[in-house]
Amino acid sequence: MTKKAKRDTTLTVLLIIGMIIFLQVANTTFDSYEKQVLSLMAIYGIMAVSLNLVNGITGIFSLGHAGFILLGAYTSALLTIPSEQKIAMFIIQPPSPLIANLHADFLTATIMGGLVAAFGAFIIGFPVLRLSGDYLAIASLGFSEVLRIFALNLQSVTNGSLGLKGIPNYTNVWWSWGWLVVTVIFVVSLVKSSYGRALLAIRDNSIAAEAMGINVFKHTLLSFVISAFFAGVSGALYAHWLTTIDPRITTFGPTLTYYVLIMVVLGGLGSITGSVVGAVLFAFLMEWLRVFEQPFTLFGRSFPAIQGMRMLVLSVLFVVTMIVWKRGIFGRSELTWDAIINFFKKFGKKADERGVGK
Amino acid sequence: MNTKRIYAITLLLLFSFSLFANVKIGALLPLTGGVSAFGDLVRKGIDLAHEERGTVLGEKIDVVYMDTRSEKTESANGAARLIDKEGVIAIIGEVISGNSLAAAEIAEKRKIPMLTPGSTNPLVTQGKKYVSRVCFIDPVQGTALAEFAVKTLKVKKATVFTDVEQDYSVGLSNYFIERFKKYSGQVLQVQYKSGDQEFSAQLSQAISFGSDAIVVTGYYNEIALVAQQAKSLGYNGYILTGDGSDAPELLQLAGQAVEGILYFTAHYHPDARITPVSGKFADAYLKKYGIRPSTLSALGYDAYMLLVQAIENAKSKKPDAVAAAIRNIRNFQGATGVITIDANGNASKDVVIETVKNQKFTFETIISANSLK
Repeated sequence: MTKKAKRDTTLTVLLIIGMIIFLQVANTTFDSYEKQVLSLMAIYGIMAVSLNLVNGITGIFSLGHAGFILLGAYTSALLTIPSEQKIAMFIIQPPSPLIANLHADFLTATIMGGLVAAFGAFIIGFPVLRLSGDYLAIASLGFSEVLRIFALNLQSVTNGSLGLKGIPNYTNVWWSWGWLVVTVIFVVSLVKSSYGRALLAIRDNSIAAEAMGINVFKHTLLSFVISAFFAGVSGALYAHWLTTIDPRITTFGPTLTYYVLIMVVLGGLGSITGSVVGAVLFAFLMEWLRVFEQPFTLFGRSFPAIQGMRMLVLSVLFVVTMIVWKRGIFGRSELTWDAIINFFKKFGKKADERGVGK
Repeated sequence: MNTKRIYAITLLLLFSFSLFANVKIGALLPLTGGVSAFGDLVRKGIDLAHEERGTVLGEKIDVVYMDTRSEKTESANGAARLIDKEGVIAIIGEVISGNSLAAAEIAEKRKIPMLTPGSTNPLVTQGKKYVSRVCFIDPVQGTALAEFAVKTLKVKKATVFTDVEQDYSVGLSNYFIERFKKYSGQVLQVQYKSGDQEFSAQLSQAISFGSDAIVVTGYYNEIALVAQQAKSLGYNGYILTGDGSDAPELLQLAGQAVEGILYFTAHYHPDARITPVSGKFADAYLKKYGIRPSTLSALGYDAYMLLVQAIENAKSKKPDAVAAAIRNIRNFQGATGVITIDANGNASKDVVIETVKNQKFTFETIISANSLK
């Protein structure tokens, strides 16, 4: 191990320890609303990082993320809901014997959710990844809608449009941030491996990559399946965060995919740290900007509450962000330890120079 | 200088009064997004009720509005924010059942009473102690429709059109069929999906079955299309629906095709002066907004009034006491009828039957809550 690699590992471990301390403090001092939003940040983070693996790093434009999130959410929810609850809830058609007595703990359910989503990605990826560009985007969008329609109509498995409720509220800050760390470490290691280099090559020029002997189809399929796995995991966390899911268009429809896409593009398409930052910002602003929707008093004049103000402010912020940073906050580059240290060095140098000039 | 100071102090005082407002009630509504119209209607009802009754237990009531953007995630966060940041003692909302489910979990966990004006999905209150509603649940409409069909219209054979994509429609159909068969009526059930345009296959089935009534349990778009196509195929029986018809758009879409033959169940009609409050509310609403009140406004009004009554009955602002008081409400005189909250948190009250006369929704009759047991 080189000196630099050693330093980076140490710093990463320190960062994770720091994060654990922060989460512990947050867990005891934050009220439950703040904890709820904190968990949501990490869940969005996993969604964004996994979408980024396909859209930013492999460079294939997929719009099917909501479908994989839905798969993970439903699979895990059906595994953790107690069977009495299932019987009470399926009021139109009784639960099919296939799912009525299924039960698993949260970790198993989350991983199963990921695996089912990954399997779904394999099934759809096999024919679809032979397409490219816009065709792929349309096909994946269609696929996620098909999954949603399935969830709507498989009455005895998904409870149809009634949706599932009473999902145990297992997701806390530990589960969500823990899975985010796993996701980021996995994706970063993947990008640094030979597979990841191949993916980057495919993104930059798939014809050249193929000419160099990279099996484009196999590699894109791999990244698609891994991305779906983590999307499924995020779906499982989301379901156990929200405790109720339904196949409505506002829950797992294209809107969700677009939200994730906004986070990814905001952070920088192709940058993993960017995706995390984008997701955290998105979740934070969405809630924090609610202050603009409450009546407020300024200089003795009271202003009425204007609903929808939040989205207006958010949109303006995003537009400004994209004007200032054309490729998102981080562009394609990562926030590496090198960059941070260099930044501080430069900062120190400037201060020194100023000191000397004095 | 001095006057300025006095001015500042008064301002500060006013400020602190508004800060220490006494009873805070949260209103979690879809004020923007896909169904913002619903949220807006409920809000109008709540505002009117708040004007009429702004104090409880001698303290001022503050209504804090929280937007959900018609989404589930936002509903959960909005509910948590109302409880933790705004410190409300009770929540009125949401309107859409799926969103109410998400908010209800939060309210139940924090032990804050929640009262939904318009969520009719039975699951919303199922198994919960703190969540109740002022509307009746979907199944009740199905039962009421069957009662009306058999007893008033003397229907013997009915074809039920079920929209398989809407839980509302599936539930309504099931309960209609159950009650209708109890009176030994004959039923043919056919299916369609939201967004379908062409119903002639189902309609010719219905006509050859010899239906006296076609029951469409979905929403107004499809109801209008079914009515038009039925007319052009020469069908001349009744068309019965749930409150999916209760939208002015239906009349624009269906025109003469529903004139005189459409009967539907509804929560409220301004002419159905079931209680003294109904009339008073309808007049006050017309005066304030210049239009006649719609169902959701009346339900919003009732939700607020019932909640305030519950606080008064509980003689306390404690969420636990208020939640228990809500469940103990009996024969509450609301704008939409006489409301009794049952042990499951569902409102039991009379169902209104409306019809179309001269291209207007007209009040027909009431199916009393007792006959629906």
